[in-house]
Amino acid sequence: MSWLRPSRLWRAAPLKRHYEVVIIGGGIHGLATAYYLARTHGIRDVAVLESHYIGFGGSGRNTAIVRANQRTAENVRLYDEGLKLWPVLTDELDFNLMFFNCGNLNLGHSEAAMNAFRMQASTHNLLGVKSELLDPQQCADVIPGLDISDRLAFPIHGGLYHPPGGIVRHDAVVWGLAKGASEHGVHIHQGCEVRGIDTREGRVTGVRTSLGAIGCKRLGIMAGGYGSAVAAMLGIELPIHPLTIQAMVTHPFKPFLHHVFSSGAYHVYANQTLKGEIATGAHMDPQVNYTTDATAYYLKHQAEALSELMPALRGVRFMRIWSGLADMTPDMAPIMEGELGCDGLYLDAGWGYFGFKSGPVAGKYMAEYMSSGERPEILRAFQLKRFLEGRYSGETASVMKYGHWD
Amino acid sequence: MTFRLTCPVCGKRDVYEFTFGGQERGPRPEQDGLSAEEHFRWTQFRLIPNEPQEEWWYHGQGCGVWFKTTRDPGTNREVK
Repeated sequence: MSWLRPSRLWRAAPLKRHYEVVIIGGGIHGLATAYYLARTHGIRDVAVLESHYIGFGGSGRNTAIVRANQRTAENVRLYDEGLKLWPVLTDELDFNLMFFNCGNLNLGHSEAAMNAFRMQASTHNLLGVKSELLDPQQCADVIPGLDISDRLAFPIHGGLYHPPGGIVRHDAVVWGLAKGASEHGVHIHQGCEVRGIDTREGRVTGVRTSLGAIGCKRLGIMAGGYGSAVAAMLGIELPIHPLTIQAMVTHPFKPFLHHVFSSGAYHVYANQTLKGEIATGAHMDPQVNYTTDATAYYLKHQAEALSELMPALRGVRFMRIWSGLADMTPDMAPIMEGELGCDGLYLDAGWGYFGFKSGPVAGKYMAEYMSSGERPEILRAFQLKRFLEGRYSGETASVMKYGHWD
Repeated sequence: MTFRLTCPVCGKRDVYEFTFGGQERGPRPEQDGLSAEEHFRWTQFRLIPNEPQEEWWYHGQGCGVWFKTTRDPGTNREVK
């Protein structure tokens, strides 16, 4: 009966005083980078430092939605590869990530939104990513209970349906990547808070942590929403606003919602989890902060939005609410950079809403970048200096108006 | 938990009555001779350590005043 005995997914490791590579942040970006460094590039002397427990931050706080229906070609290319990695990783890690490619429906509430969707779908189709426009009746066929009448404040004009998207169990991704990284020799240190970064003669030499100083030759800042606070330790200014974004779940139902749906106009996205709850996310809080505060304001907001779009949900109760950080950039595209004026220092940040769906593919390319020192071709669009040259990505041309910083 | 900010006119009010106006960063740089890079750096780049910062807020759903306060991004609370 040994298979019944619970076994640890990853090994506890002694804290060494020096590593070849140190990664700040035990979320999916950090763990995926460590995993690919060890597995693909043979760099096994790697430590992942996590201030709380692995998956404490955005990795365990998102609504688990994955998709590749971004606006611009360079982003679609990256997210499409990321989307195709889930089944590969499930196999590679020998761990069930519970990938459910149920499809995403983005609702449009004006003719302008439908025109933007039309362009977006064309970009997807040109790149071989499945997306199609639906009329209101087709939207209601896909999402039963959707109110397609003109009673809504913002009536539904149609939608952009993206069949390959869906949901992935986010805890499973964190645990699976930790398991995979650990099997390849990576040291994962939880409860290890980074308090300072040491450099000498323009090179990174190590970090100062709550568990003492740790030396390294290469350092990756992959701390999700806390990335701007970590970069601030070195005085590195970034075009990033860390904002809390709140999510919540209702009590469970029989399965009735078979796809992810979202609405930019109502600031709502929702899916039914495998446990039957409706998991739904809201808009961001306005002020920069590094908290995990949740508020009644967004419970009310979500209740209003969901019950207007789907009247059958009136009277349903929310069971839990939480929040995580979104590190917003002005152009809604990430920053993956190794030229920060300090040799050996790499930054993977600014993922905003999209840090979960991109985790494994970002890790794959950051590992390539950190092992070779050469920027992979696919990351050329995500350099920090684009913000200093006024060459913003076109991602904000998607239907969603995100906020005052874009 | 939500939190309250101290409006100089109305006193302590719920944060959702206010609009966040960003960090206090001193006067806007002179446009004469300002390079594109300096312009973009000033408009978009920020240092946001996890420690109290002075920032601007607008009481849009109240008296309409702009004011400065010091708030800790690590706790969301005002610091006096």
